[in-house]
Amino acid sequence: MTAHHPGEQLLRRYARGDDDIAADQLWAVESHLETCAPCRGRLVPDPIAETVWADLAPLLEHTPQMPSARPWRRRLTAWVSPTAGPWLAMILVVVFVAVLLDRLSKVAPGGISLVLLIAPVLPVLGVAASWGRTLDPVYELTASTPRAGLPLVLRRTAAVLAVVVPGLFATGASLTQWLLPCLAFTAGTLALGGLIGVTRAAIALVALWAAAIVAPAVALSRSPGAFDPAATPVWAAALALGLLVIALRRTAFTRLGANR
Amino acid sequence: MPQLIENLGSAVVVLRRVRAIRGEPADLDEEHLVRRVARGDRAAFEELYRRTSPWLTVRLRRRCSDDQVVAEVLQETYLAVWRAADAFAGSATGGSAVGWLWTIAARRLIDAFRRRAHHAQPPTAGVAEPIARAAEDEVLDRVVGDEVGDEVGDALRTLAPELRQVLQAMVLDGFSVRETSVLLGVPEGTVKTRARRARIAMREALS
Amino acid sequence: MRNTVTAPTTYAWEIEARDLRVRVGRRRMAVDDVTLTMGRGVHGLLGPNGAGKTTLIRALATVLRPTSGTLTLLGGLELRELRRRIGYLPQDFGYYRRFTVREFVEYMAWLKEMPGRDVPSAVQRAIERVGLADRADDRLKTLSGGMLRRVGIAQAIVNDPAVLLLDEPTAGLDPAQRLRFRDLLTELGTDTCVVVSTHLVEDVAAACTDVVLLADGKLVFQGTPTQLAAAGTAEHAGDSPIERGYTALLAGPKRHGSW
Repeated sequence: MTAHHPGEQLLRRYARGDDDIAADQLWAVESHLETCAPCRGRLVPDPIAETVWADLAPLLEHTPQMPSARPWRRRLTAWVSPTAGPWLAMILVVVFVAVLLDRLSKVAPGGISLVLLIAPVLPVLGVAASWGRTLDPVYELTASTPRAGLPLVLRRTAAVLAVVVPGLFATGASLTQWLLPCLAFTAGTLALGGLIGVTRAAIALVALWAAAIVAPAVALSRSPGAFDPAATPVWAAALALGLLVIALRRTAFTRLGANR
Repeated sequence: MPQLIENLGSAVVVLRRVRAIRGEPADLDEEHLVRRVARGDRAAFEELYRRTSPWLTVRLRRRCSDDQVVAEVLQETYLAVWRAADAFAGSATGGSAVGWLWTIAARRLIDAFRRRAHHAQPPTAGVAEPIARAAEDEVLDRVVGDEVGDEVGDALRTLAPELRQVLQAMVLDGFSVRETSVLLGVPEGTVKTRARRARIAMREALS
Repeated sequence: MRNTVTAPTTYAWEIEARDLRVRVGRRRMAVDDVTLTMGRGVHGLLGPNGAGKTTLIRALATVLRPTSGTLTLLGGLELRELRRRIGYLPQDFGYYRRFTVREFVEYMAWLKEMPGRDVPSAVQRAIERVGLADRADDRLKTLSGGMLRRVGIAQAIVNDPAVLLLDEPTAGLDPAQRLRFRDLLTELGTDTCVVVSTHLVEDVAAACTDVVLLADGKLVFQGTPTQLAAAGTAEHAGDSPIERGYTALLAGPKRHGSW
């Protein structure tokens, strides 16, 4: 740095507290000292600083220092809601159990796959844990912050999908069969959640799925038509509708939810 | 291959250790000292104090005539550095450790003033704080630079003292309107007006 | 980056409500036709349970949208910008049990979109101001109720808000902590518009520059604690002049028998 180091006299006057130093000189000295260690070293130790040190040094003994920060944690909470962790773990366990049951009961009548049956509603649980009064104790506080809103909700939803989708993918179930329903249900939860609260929306959609698809499939012992290739346009339409409603009602996530 | 990775890994560990051991506190810059303090190094803390406290004391004293308050702020500042050095070490990368040392001290100075102020001032018209950087602020940034150019220097010199005070608090010390108002003991509206007048005066002097 | 100077937006009051109504649920108008202004200082929000204090604070915290009327905060900033300057402690302050005090306040600072560089020092300062420096790195689940309240206050002040909204902040604090909290309130009130809802009348007497009294969602009184005290006579129930004033105003001619 080719800075002008202040002269000895100016520095002395500055340290003494003289108030007749020209404004521009004073300004230059102050900003220079902030960046120049050698010049800071030229200042004579102040009696106040020495007294303070005498008080401070013995204090250090009894003053605990913060433990090493966990930077990964900060990065994680920027994406995953702090409440969602156990739920995500639970989702993975559920997937694992479903795979296990599928493997055990090769006899599955009509070839119903349990993994497929639960796949569409899996992310719904994680989404409910990410944004809602019931499951998040800090919900009201979060909703009052500038970061609250659709971007935060989408971030957290993305984190849920980042766990659920690879988890389901690993089961070996056919991607084309579950991915679209999975996304449609996720979008549906948020869309409906903007109207009646995310937790309620999650419960409603899971109930709807169980009643309309799972129950008949189990009762009739045949794979539901919802997974037929013919159903793809329907799922795509549902996804599109969900996204549209979310986009139209995006401000809903900056206020307290409708459910109280 | 795994062997190689293992070797590399231990080499890195050794290197880190060497780096940590090498160099007495006296040879390190302030950023490194803070990192050492974060690991509980008392010698590094003492060195940091020895090196920065004369400067910080003078700077505080030029803003507060009460030695008691200066001592209080000094102690609180360095105690905070000791306590939270790890967090500070993380955020001081790239920036100057000395710069944030001032920020910590400055906030605490304001707190001390607030404690003393209590209800001395009647509530007056509030003022929204600055939101975005105005183009003219680039001019002020030139002022903050290490070297104060002749023209800027002249402009500063001719500025009325009360305007200069506000400019110094807000630009040089990084205080907000509210903090400046507490520091100088004038209402926020006045701070805002003076800041605007100062800016206009500077711009005129520089054009 | 340092603070810079920009064109000013002046406003007379930090909080300005005109004919404010806030509906809760389908029918109940929890805040009904309230018109008030609040500037810097400590404003005590008093009233019986169900008077609408929490709903009013929630509306001020921008988490509830007014049903009708106008509410202008800090001269009418855009919502996101406004929220960066608000501190809020909800009545039922929830927290993450596994977070440490520092992690929680840091997380809130992130939610409040504070510049990353400022966060460590702001967090440390907020924790020190509520007197939790020694417990800064303890997990929240190990703290007592009073300490958790203080964590709540720390997260509310971490962004150095211009409007600070505290809903029942003294609940769970022991007498010594309440005294220290009043000092902090007074200190904050020098350059912040602080709104504190409380049912403890003595808190108001000690720390507030201004009292707002709500009953049934309506504004019954706004004035200084002295004016509140002056409203009461020896015949009214209460241990202190302010309590007697409180009883007198609530039992006004229109609402006798209700409390």
